[in-house]
Amino acid sequence: MNRFSLPSLGIGLGLRTTHYSHILEHRPNVDWFEILSENYMQTKGRPLTFLDKIAEMYPIAMHGVSLSIGSTDPLDRQYLSELKELRDRTQARWVSDHLCWTGVAGKNTHDLLPLPYTEESLKHVAARVRTVQDILGAPLALENPSTYVEFAGSTMTEWEFLSELAREADCALLVDVNNIFVSSYNHGFDPMDYVRALPFDRIVQMHVAGHTNHGTHIVDTHIGPVLEPVWQLLGEVYRRASAPSVLLEWDADIPSFEETHREALRAREFISEEAA
Amino acid sequence: MTDRLPSPVLDPNRDVGTERASATPARKHAHLKVAGAAQKSAVVPQTLSALERWMLGAIADAPPVDSEIDAILTPGPRLSAKDRLAVYQFGYRARLVECLADDYPIVARTLGEGAFEELAAEYIERHPSTAPSLNAFGRHMESFCRESGSRALGANSEFFAELARLEWALVETIHAEGAPPFDFQKLAKVPVEAWATARLVPSKTVRVLRFEYPVNAFFQARREDKEPAIPAESPTELAIYRVGFRIWRMDLTPAMTRVLEALLAEQPIGDALATIAVDESDPAALGEAERSVMVWFREWVEGGFFAGVTLAE
Repeated sequence: MNRFSLPSLGIGLGLRTTHYSHILEHRPNVDWFEILSENYMQTKGRPLTFLDKIAEMYPIAMHGVSLSIGSTDPLDRQYLSELKELRDRTQARWVSDHLCWTGVAGKNTHDLLPLPYTEESLKHVAARVRTVQDILGAPLALENPSTYVEFAGSTMTEWEFLSELAREADCALLVDVNNIFVSSYNHGFDPMDYVRALPFDRIVQMHVAGHTNHGTHIVDTHIGPVLEPVWQLLGEVYRRASAPSVLLEWDADIPSFEETHREALRAREFISEEAA
Repeated sequence: MTDRLPSPVLDPNRDVGTERASATPARKHAHLKVAGAAQKSAVVPQTLSALERWMLGAIADAPPVDSEIDAILTPGPRLSAKDRLAVYQFGYRARLVECLADDYPIVARTLGEGAFEELAAEYIERHPSTAPSLNAFGRHMESFCRESGSRALGANSEFFAELARLEWALVETIHAEGAPPFDFQKLAKVPVEAWATARLVPSKTVRVLRFEYPVNAFFQARREDKEPAIPAESPTELAIYRVGFRIWRMDLTPAMTRVLEALLAEQPIGDALATIAVDESDPAALGEAERSVMVWFREWVEGGFFAGVTLAE
């Protein structure tokens, strides 16, 4: 069990609109679903109606892309209030978002922008994570991002920053091993250096996904099946952690529900005792 | 009185909706370009706040000069700092263009990829997102088409404004709060003497739109992969509504539109019916009107146009 006593939900799928009808009609045997929080905000209509029905049948966790925990704009209290309302409505087991910022000066790029890894950033983000956790009344799980630039002013590695942040803010972690792989390729580090430095008792969830290799760089597209090195990283982290919940993200050119689920269940090959 | 009930059309492609929040844009945008660097002297931001503002400007506005990028960002194993930054510059616009293309698929298809991306890029510059969710990002498209003078629209800005209005109404209907089904039998139980002063409570999942162009016919043809020409002006009316998870479009006649608009404005039913303006000295016309109204009412109630009925005190 992780230090937050958050449950191990098993192997889940990112809930996507193209699968709504299949799920409601066939009630497939899936351990849990992760929802993209913002898809169910600023709406009172059909998305919420679908979600209500699915949340009645499956455990849900919420995953956001607009918390903007690293932004120097004030925290958006209205957003946090709606986030909490959605969490209560779905009985989500936890809420996660990314170690990033998405905008500043009131503008939202809807991208997961990287932070410089400095003491200033660390202090700033840790204080905001604590505030968010106070508002939610629950631990926030922060996900390591995939990044395409690094700042000359950074004074520590991402894994050092993430570990120190988790300790300072006492937050949970969502470890995306595809993001580790993508960033390791883009920045030229050994992904196992990242893995070995993680605070394993804080890992409550893991992500796997496909990506697109352009030769010069990899983009975290969430397209296609998970590549072998990413599966291997899943096993490396999973075996060191305390049975974190595992989730497949597939966001573009999404295949049938069955095919997506089959891909997610490949995780079993890498997290079982025999795989060790 | 010859108005018949038109057959409503289901919007199959709006059956499940589209993804909104996502970490990465999926659509390929061959036409998207990153603007050239503005000529200015290099300034290295010293605080997190200044750095974020620099990066936002670098992504969403004018790219900085190379020396500034090299002072702030490091090169990677295979890409220069400038090329690494370009991944974000491209991603920013691609993500928002993708969102607009999801909301306005027929506008996009009619304009073609290049012209739509030009329009979308101008829109993004004029109306950058300021909300956590992208659900309402495209809400200004109708007025933008009408007022921006975008070259992408040619001489058809008014038509595209109306087409955008139709498509945005579909989005609004998806996100509108539904009401419990209103039982037609309850309406039948309203005493005859109370009908004239009773008012119907409008549902939030219905929209009535008046157009100067036959926009719905054009929209439907495009949906069927036909390639109609931009039509000439010819006033039309349309109802868009949601039943359960499904979105429907129903052409309206002028008389239906007048009655429905009055009912949705919560005018007394008697006043709404008076808008039909039938010749009361003609018994045949009166009888036809009464029959038509009952058919309309049943369709509208079953279509979830109303959430209830209130009787006058």
